[in-house]
Amino acid sequence: MNTSPPIQDIWQRFLERSFSILFPILAIFGAFAVSSLIIIAWGSNPIEAYSALLGGAFGSIASWATTLTRLTPLIFTGLAVTYGYRSGFFNIGAEGQLFIGAYAVVWMGITFPDWPGWLLIIISMLFAMLLGALLALGPGILKARRGINEVLTTLLINYLVIQFFEWSLRVDHITRGFEAPWTFVNWLGLKDPTQPYPKSALIPESARLPSISSILNGNFLMSIFGEAEWYQSLLSTPALSRITLAPLLGVIAIVFVYFLLFHTTTGYRARAVGVNPEAARYMGINVGRTIITTALISGALAGLAGAMEILGSQFRVIPNFLLNAGFEGIPVAMIGQLNPFGVGLSALFFGALRAGANRMQIISGVPVYLVFVIQALAILFAIAGTKIDIVAKLRQSRTTRPAKTSQPASEIEVPHA
Amino acid sequence: MLEQIFEIFLSVEFYVAIIRMTTPILLAAMGGLLAERTGIVTFSMEAMMLMGTIAGVVGSGLSGNVWIGLVTAMIAGVAVAMIFALMTVTIGANQIVSSVALNIGILGLSSLMFAMAFTTRGEVVQTTITVPSLSEWKIPLLGDIPILGPIFFNHLPLVYIAFLMVLVVWFILFRTTWGLKIRAVGEHPHAADTLGISVARVRYLSLVFTGAMAGLAGAFLSIGTLNTFQENMTGGRGFIAYTAIVFGKWQPVGVFLGTLLFGAADALQLRMQTKGLPIPYQFMVALPYLVTMIILVFFVGKAMWPASYGKPFAREGK
Repeated sequence: MNTSPPIQDIWQRFLERSFSILFPILAIFGAFAVSSLIIIAWGSNPIEAYSALLGGAFGSIASWATTLTRLTPLIFTGLAVTYGYRSGFFNIGAEGQLFIGAYAVVWMGITFPDWPGWLLIIISMLFAMLLGALLALGPGILKARRGINEVLTTLLINYLVIQFFEWSLRVDHITRGFEAPWTFVNWLGLKDPTQPYPKSALIPESARLPSISSILNGNFLMSIFGEAEWYQSLLSTPALSRITLAPLLGVIAIVFVYFLLFHTTTGYRARAVGVNPEAARYMGINVGRTIITTALISGALAGLAGAMEILGSQFRVIPNFLLNAGFEGIPVAMIGQLNPFGVGLSALFFGALRAGANRMQIISGVPVYLVFVIQALAILFAIAGTKIDIVAKLRQSRTTRPAKTSQPASEIEVPHA
Repeated sequence: MLEQIFEIFLSVEFYVAIIRMTTPILLAAMGGLLAERTGIVTFSMEAMMLMGTIAGVVGSGLSGNVWIGLVTAMIAGVAVAMIFALMTVTIGANQIVSSVALNIGILGLSSLMFAMAFTTRGEVVQTTITVPSLSEWKIPLLGDIPILGPIFFNHLPLVYIAFLMVLVVWFILFRTTWGLKIRAVGEHPHAADTLGISVARVRYLSLVFTGAMAGLAGAFLSIGTLNTFQENMTGGRGFIAYTAIVFGKWQPVGVFLGTLLFGAADALQLRMQTKGLPIPYQFMVALPYLVTMIILVFFVGKAMWPASYGKPFAREGK
């Protein structure tokens, strides 16, 4: 009864693929369409507002710099959520893991400012990944061994980490010259002792990710193109100093996670557990260990999100330095259809909205808050669209298989039979 | 230092503050508990509350009557809850993802609505708007008792409603057929369905209650204490209410204690900050979460949350 001809399978697979690309795009258009009603109610012209928004996101090198800055952490948190979700580990702790990643980078930067820059960058990134992974390890073990819902544990850890982070911003960072034994807590603090405000010192300039400007200013390129007029005009573009290697590392991470997920046994095990843990167990996969590995990878990716923000954009931490980027990893992953490349595109969508919002407010008077509404509508339409799946309806009418239920991951993945 | 701590604990204002800080969390948590027991993750209470804050201000400001403000806040909370129900119960989308979407969207929409209702287009939204707000109800006789009177019997009406809700929710859950249906749906939706209970209907109606309570909780923040609206006014109290439900292991009295713990920690950390005590106040903020974590890891078995928790329900063969 269930054996449909292979040609139909291929056709269905093709339909599924094209729908999974079509749905998010339709959802985004739908979100813009509905939001234009709000703009009209506000008394502005939607076309004017949206073109200002687009211009603010992509219109100039400066807007591209802002867009790229905004999208980079979202790529990493989106990948973190995607990798976890594919394996049935719903990591909503990306927010806390991102904060601890930022903490790790700043701590390394202000504790060892004398280290060579390249070494400091690499070690800080590894440290951020390590701390992010450690935060996810507890929930991973609790889920694997005790069956405790990871949504609850990762959420609670977020709040603990954020309070720790807030505390560290208010404790002077002293590396040497302890007065009394208990001042060792100052070793964990991040606050710049010379400042009255809760913020850290900047990490050393050598330990920041190189920007396009600094690469252009490098001796090698200067010696080749230094005289050319276009090169001089590039050098005098201030926005290029805001574009660092961080977005490029984001793209590398996308390719890496794609490869990991679809072309390695680690990824295969993760997906198998996500689709059906029972079946995976029969296949001889150690389900518990797979969940823990998944948690570690997911946490490390989210930790990198915080690292990228510090190394490539802010260079220091202040309270709420990057609010909600961790939670937004969830919608980024969903609109991206839980595909690493999709995550890249949906992070671009989110980053562009945030980057263009200010220009929209200045030119058309529509408050920046509108972009939150656009984002929310896009997410709701996208996930609703995936559920009211035309393809699934088609398949159901052809075969008499009962509808699949429960288990989040199985909603998306096509089982490997 | 000890002297200052004693000073805090001996002042009547501290206990008044605990009750006041507990109220919005308690209202939302009691509302959320019913939906939670049907197997719904009420992570979207933050959005319902935030919508309640703005709707309360708009309703109270435009009508000039604070009670109409309370009603609009409840309606607004229910409206958000119904969008959530449509997404998660009818369509069967992931509950956490839907919640995150709503939390982001309402964060923007509430600020937009405030700007729309109280400013002209293009004007900077910096004016301080004040609208009619609630005033204390002193309970006759009881309110005159020294010390206990001001602590327990001289509050906004919503405070009494919040504390009464513990009894109401306990009664609904364990002494009515409606509560029996709620628990049946949460524990075993398929069995409930076989018995002729409409899973969707039970979940929808519970979410109506959740939305109304969360809306009231939001209104308490806006027209109860500050009589104006600020961006992101709830500041995560919806999530705290959710955490209190976990703390209380999905039992009304436990949840009540959880909200008290969060309320007390909040009141204490504010006072510790103003007194300039050397204990980091972040520790006080984090403490209830830490206790919740310990309870979750050491005292909550797998069976503590509703068995169908977070899973959409679809009838077989339909």
